[in-house]
Amino acid sequence: MADAAAAVPGDPPAGATVLDSLGEDITRIVYPVSACMFLVVLLVSLLSSPSSPSPLSASIAAATGGGGVSGGGDDIPTALFTALTFVVAVTAATFLLALLFYLRCTPCLRAYLGFSALAVLLVLGGQVALLLISRLRLPLDAVSFALLLPNAAGALALAALAPASVPIALHQAALVAIAVLTAFWFTLLPEWTTWALLVAMAVYDLAAVLLPGGPLRVLLELAIERNEEIPALVYEARPVDPRHGRNWRLWREGRQPGADLDASSTTVEVIGEVLGRNLDANSGNSSSPQVHEAATSAGYVNNSRPRATLGAALSSDPTVEQAGEVSALREHRVAVAEMRVPLIQPRPERSGEEEEDEDGIGLSSSGAIKLGLGDFIFYSVLVGRAAMYDYMTVYACYLAIIAGLGITLLLLAFFRKALPALPVSIALGVVFYVLTRTLLEEFVVQCSTNLLLF
Amino acid sequence: MEARVAGVPEDEESGLLPRQSAAGRRPSSRGPRFPPPPAVWATVDGPLGLPLEEAEGHARRFFLWGFACLPFLWAINCCYFWPVLRSPAAPSPAAFGPIRPYVVRSAIGFTIFSVVLITWATTFIVGGERLFGPAWNDLVMYNVADKLGLSGFMG
Repeated sequence: MADAAAAVPGDPPAGATVLDSLGEDITRIVYPVSACMFLVVLLVSLLSSPSSPSPLSASIAAATGGGGVSGGGDDIPTALFTALTFVVAVTAATFLLALLFYLRCTPCLRAYLGFSALAVLLVLGGQVALLLISRLRLPLDAVSFALLLPNAAGALALAALAPASVPIALHQAALVAIAVLTAFWFTLLPEWTTWALLVAMAVYDLAAVLLPGGPLRVLLELAIERNEEIPALVYEARPVDPRHGRNWRLWREGRQPGADLDASSTTVEVIGEVLGRNLDANSGNSSSPQVHEAATSAGYVNNSRPRATLGAALSSDPTVEQAGEVSALREHRVAVAEMRVPLIQPRPERSGEEEEDEDGIGLSSSGAIKLGLGDFIFYSVLVGRAAMYDYMTVYACYLAIIAGLGITLLLLAFFRKALPALPVSIALGVVFYVLTRTLLEEFVVQCSTNLLLF
Repeated sequence: MEARVAGVPEDEESGLLPRQSAAGRRPSSRGPRFPPPPAVWATVDGPLGLPLEEAEGHARRFFLWGFACLPFLWAINCCYFWPVLRSPAAPSPAAFGPIRPYVVRSAIGFTIFSVVLITWATTFIVGGERLFGPAWNDLVMYNVADKLGLSGFMG
C-alpha cells in the first residue's frame, strides 16, 4: 500500500497513492455487494416456488385492478404502472425526508429509521427464517425460535443503527442482512414488475441525484449547507488507512486543508475527541453519500466554527435509519424510499502525508467509500430475479453489476462528488440478462447437446 | 502502514488494519506534531473503535441491558471488548481495569445462556418424539408456523 510510504519522508506522487489504495477500496465495497447478492441468490434458490404466484403478486394484481390477466398481474401495463407508482412514492418520500431534515426533525427520522430496521429484521427476517425451517425441515422448537428471533433482530438492529457500539464487522453484517431481506422480499414481485421497477429506479436515481431539482440533490445541498449528516442507512467500507478512522481523525480536527497544525486548535481537538465520538458515530453511520462531499469533513475541519458544528451535530442526532418495510406494498414503498440512498460516496483525497491533513479536502468523514443500502438492495434484486431463471443469467448479471460498480467508482474518482450508483449497473445488468437469455443460452444449449463444449 | 504486533490475525477485510488493541502504535515520526494517541485500544476495532473513556460506560450499558432477555448484547460486549477479555488481569493496562468486570460478567452470562439454550435445543432435536411424545409435534417450529399461518405472508 502506498500508505506504507507515509512514514517515509518524500512521499510518493499523488497519482500512485490514489491508484494504490483504490484497489483496496474497491475490494472493500465489492466484497459486501457480492456477499449480499450471493445470499439473495441462495435464498431465492432455496425458497422460490415459481409455479405458485406469491400472495404479494396477488395483492399487486388486486391493487392495480387486476383486469383478469393471467399470471397474476404479470403483464407490461401493470408492471409499468406499478413501477411508476413506486417511483412516485419514493420521490414523495424523499421530499418528505428532505422537508423533515430541513425542519430538523431528526429525532423522528431516527425513530422511523430504527422502527424500519427492526421491522425488517423481525418481520421479514422471521418470515425468511420460517420459510427456511419449513423448507429444510429443521427440527427447531418453538421456544428456542421465539427466544432467538427477537434477540437476533434486536441485536442486528442495534448494530445497524449504532455503529459506534458494535464491532465494525457486525455493523456491516447487519446492514447486509437488512439489504438481503429487503431484496428477497422484492424478488417476490412478478417478473415484469421487477424489471420495470429496476429500470424505473435507475432512471429515478439518475434524475434525483444529478438534476438540480432532484430530491436527493436537494437533501445533499441542505446537508452540506448545514454541515450535518443525513440520517440514513449507508454501508461504509472500512477505511483503508486507519488514520482516517474516527479517533485518529479527531486528532486532526480543526485543521484547514493544507494548513499547518494550529496551536489554537488543540483545544478543539481535545473537545472534539470527547464529543466527536458521537459525531463520528453519526457521520460514520449516516447518510446519503450525497452529503458527504463536504459536509462532515468541512464541519470537522473548518477552524472557524468547530464548536458550533460539534454542538449542532450532536443535537441533530444523526443516526437515523432508513429502512424497512412491512407487509403492505404501499408502506413498503414509502419505507424503502427512505432507504434509497443511491449514492456512492467518494474517498477523501490523499494529500501529502507529512504536511497536510489527509482529511482536509476529504469527501468522507472516515475516508471510506460509502454505498447506500438501496444500491445493495436493487443489485441483489436484479441478481435474484436472474436466479429465478437460471444460474447462467446469475453469473452474467453478477459480472455486469460488478463492472458497473467499478465504472461508477472510476467516475467517482474523476468527479469527486456524489454519484448515483444504480444507473450504470442496472443498465448493464438488464442488457446482459436479455442477451444471456436470448443469445447465450441458445448457444450454450446447442453446444451442450451436440457435446461440443460445456 | 501502522505498526502491527506479529502474529495478530487479520481478517480479509481489515487488510492492514491492526486488530489487536495493544498493537495500536502510531509511527513515532508523527509524534512531535500531534498529541500522542493512546497506546492501547480497548476494542477489537482498534483505532476505529471506541475511545477508552467511553468504553467503560458502554460496557456497563450493554451488560445491564443484557438482563432484559437480550443475551446477544452480552455476546456483542464480549466480541467488541475482546482485547480486554483476552489480556490477563495482572499485566493489562490500567485503562482496562474498569471495563474488565463488565466484560467478564457478560461473558459468563452469555456462556450460561448458550449452554442452557443448546442443551434444550439438542434435547429437543435428539429426543424427538421418543422423549416428548405427541407434544413434540406441537412444539416443533414448522408445525407451529403452519398452524398459526405465520409463513403465509410470503407464500
